[in-house]
Amino acid sequence: MSAPHGAAAPTDTEGQQQEPEQARPSVIRRLGLQRYAILIVFAAMIIAFGADIPGTFLSIGNLSNILGGQAVLFILVMAVILPTIMGDFVDLSLGSSLGLSAMTLAVLNVQHHTNVVVACVAGIGAAVVVGLVNVFFVVYFDNDPFIVTLGVMTIVQGIIYIISGNNSVGIVSTNLSDWVFNNSFLQIPLEFYYGLAIFLVVWYVLSFTPVGQRALVIGQSREVARLTGVRVNRARSWAFILGAAIAGIAGIAYAGTNGTVDPTAGSSLILPAYAAVFLGATAIKPGRINALGALIAVYFLAAGTAGLQLLGAANYIQQIFYGAALVAAVTIPKANRDRIFKKRRAA
Amino acid sequence: MSSTGSGTPGASDEPISPQEPAASGEQTSAPPAVEVRNISKDFGSNQALISVDLSIGQGEVVGLVGQNGSGKSTLVKVLSGVYAPEPGGRLFVSGKEVPLPLLPGQASEIGLSFVYQNLALAGGLTVLENLTLGQRIGGGWRSWAPINWLGEHRRAAAVLRRYGVRLNLDQRTGELAPVDQARLAIVRAAEDLRRYRTRTGNTHSVLVLDEPTVFLPEEDVENLFDVIRAVVAEGAGVLFISHDLVAVRSITDRVVVLRDGRVVADVPAGGYDEQALVDLIVGISARAAQNAAAEEEAHPVETALAPKEPAGAPTQGENVVVEHLAAGRLADFSFEIRAGEILGVAGLIGSGAEELPYLLFGARQASGGTLRLGGKTLDIGGLSPQRTVRERIALVPADRQVYGLSEHLALWENIVMLVEDEYYRGGVFRRGELVALAREAVDRFLIRPPQPHAVTATFSGGNQQKALLAKWLIARPRLLLLHEPTQGVDVGARRDIYRFVKSAAALDQTTVLWVTTDFGELAEVCDRVIVLSEGRQVTTLTGEELSDDAITAAALRQIREVR
Repeated sequence: MSAPHGAAAPTDTEGQQQEPEQARPSVIRRLGLQRYAILIVFAAMIIAFGADIPGTFLSIGNLSNILGGQAVLFILVMAVILPTIMGDFVDLSLGSSLGLSAMTLAVLNVQHHTNVVVACVAGIGAAVVVGLVNVFFVVYFDNDPFIVTLGVMTIVQGIIYIISGNNSVGIVSTNLSDWVFNNSFLQIPLEFYYGLAIFLVVWYVLSFTPVGQRALVIGQSREVARLTGVRVNRARSWAFILGAAIAGIAGIAYAGTNGTVDPTAGSSLILPAYAAVFLGATAIKPGRINALGALIAVYFLAAGTAGLQLLGAANYIQQIFYGAALVAAVTIPKANRDRIFKKRRAA
Repeated sequence: MSSTGSGTPGASDEPISPQEPAASGEQTSAPPAVEVRNISKDFGSNQALISVDLSIGQGEVVGLVGQNGSGKSTLVKVLSGVYAPEPGGRLFVSGKEVPLPLLPGQASEIGLSFVYQNLALAGGLTVLENLTLGQRIGGGWRSWAPINWLGEHRRAAAVLRRYGVRLNLDQRTGELAPVDQARLAIVRAAEDLRRYRTRTGNTHSVLVLDEPTVFLPEEDVENLFDVIRAVVAEGAGVLFISHDLVAVRSITDRVVVLRDGRVVADVPAGGYDEQALVDLIVGISARAAQNAAAEEEAHPVETALAPKEPAGAPTQGENVVVEHLAAGRLADFSFEIRAGEILGVAGLIGSGAEELPYLLFGARQASGGTLRLGGKTLDIGGLSPQRTVRERIALVPADRQVYGLSEHLALWENIVMLVEDEYYRGGVFRRGELVALAREAVDRFLIRPPQPHAVTATFSGGNQQKALLAKWLIARPRLLLLHEPTQGVDVGARRDIYRFVKSAAALDQTTVLWVTTDFGELAEVCDRVIVLSEGRQVTTLTGEELSDDAITAAALRQIREVR
């Protein structure tokens, strides 16, 4: 590493150096605080609930309930991450992809007595078709993803009502339920491990490969990525398709967990999934949507809800807790920063 | 002409003593509509304006000409309240002094109205909506009163008729021809001035037109002038800023020439032919001497530091031959760059030169042409950035914040973007090695502060630009395309960037295409410069002929020849 002979340009380096140096303490403080903020609150929450209701909250049963009970949401969150990280901030249709997958499986398995494995594959296939439709209208025609996926979500929801006759369909093969929910490993239902496996793949690809790095650049500055030779539209297409496929898997898990499939299955899950993704973006790598942060966020929200319910809160406390946590997580770091900046300006 | 500056053709760069403050006695005895005296503006050590005096009479069209960087746009920004001039400058409106600096938005309250090159029209709105936009701002209860669109329509039609402009009021503005958009912008500005006069009872007002003709073909320029004449007939003064000396001579009454921040001439438009004006604009420059001094401090820098040589990479550089390139303004444009040569392409805005790097990179679609790089011939019309990156063609775009660097990523992530794949081996992403590579690049490209993990947006413009150059140079490009590589970059970083590019050309035989409107820069770094006008190449300058002034003169002269 031969440093260039001519030394740094003498006069202006000083001026240039000052600016970032001034900003440095606040950046580090902010990062240090923010990065692990959710984990700290998470730990505090567990201690608080644990002290209050040790018998129920700190039981294996509750752990199993939290980890297993949120597996469907957890898998859907991994689906939501993919298009979101590429800068296509909403794929609203992922919830209905989940519903379509579950309903296809249920209708084939229950009403047409199709083999459950074939029905599962068909369910995932149906979800992938939804993803392809999104690609066609969002990427190929360069439309706003919000508008297109809003339309596609509505259409798919309508299709679910048609194929189900607007009824819950069940009960799906107990084989499936066994492999998803009833059997467990270390007292935690198997579906949690499926979610964990999907998480590990998504996490590895997004955080530890050039593919993930490119996805990040596409999400942060699409034009920079394009002019660096990245195949932007191909990557976005894959994100929509794989996202839909993972949502389809979430649909299978949903059917296996509940036994019967409700026509409105996916629509109630999509907003909590987005809440977890955006809440996760405030942790581990602040400002970046990341898989590990999303994992923590999902179980932070699940544990919080479970604790409140054990304390006697009603079921709908979940919605309030999710919404409040999300808004608080994105606001608190900003409020902090502005206060710091104002002080500095006044000084 | 008491206001005539001391400048004459070929005058030296002696400072000019402030003019007599007395009214710049045009034929009218009334005070000038707008007069500025002793306006100076420093940017650090760089003096953009030095004691500039300028007056615009009522009903007078004054041309303002000068090279890029001579201070024209700085003066406009002082008038519009964007910049605060140095203390001592004074502004008189209709003989009454207005304290400087102006607040943003204050210009419209003293009877000044501006039309910039980008026209500030909302393309998605209709002609009528754009025309009445100025009446929609301002708060109070009027914001809640219903808009009478039928009445607005009638009044707007009357306004357009008064200026002799025929437009469909319900058409989307974005669908209008460029000249009609320019006319609409001017009518809107003139209408704002007329309302100002009726509102205040004042008789003065000045319309400032900043490069309104650059994108227009000749026959349309004449149409535009009809509108300007209609505006003048109403009593407004006009300040007309342009590179187009033919246009300046045909529409203006008086021409003010700026050079290096000073007024070097203030003369009647009819009194000088174009050649004399070009001489006034260019003057005699001492820059050549400065360039020689700068040359000495330049040492070559080893810029290629990616340790892994891509397979089959040539050690010798390759010639680049572009043939029959056609796209937009460019028609059948051919040129060659030798291995290790830095070729400059000069041209005024709208000449087509600024498209060239993007076309050759495949970022914008060309309609035809071939690019021969080494042994390979590529169809320029079918290029895409993915393809050209694989051929190791590099593009350093002008707008680095949008196209060059991802601002929210860490600096190292931006620097290594193109070589990441080489550091993914056996399922493991060698992040540490990438950071080390970026650290080495930071050292070698003198990026300050040397913190590869800092967020890119926190670095100064010059350091960001060095990082952008590093990003492409560590990928060992065969052809390096640069567009305005020193835009918004301080002097020290500018020297460094020159040095890095020259080193890449000298040590790695990288072929370089350098496009900028800063002609002094081209004269300093390029081996050869071709000058474009209206999409055609007219002049090639090499060796001794290369100077800021020669390039400027060529570019200006071409406009005259083409028109």
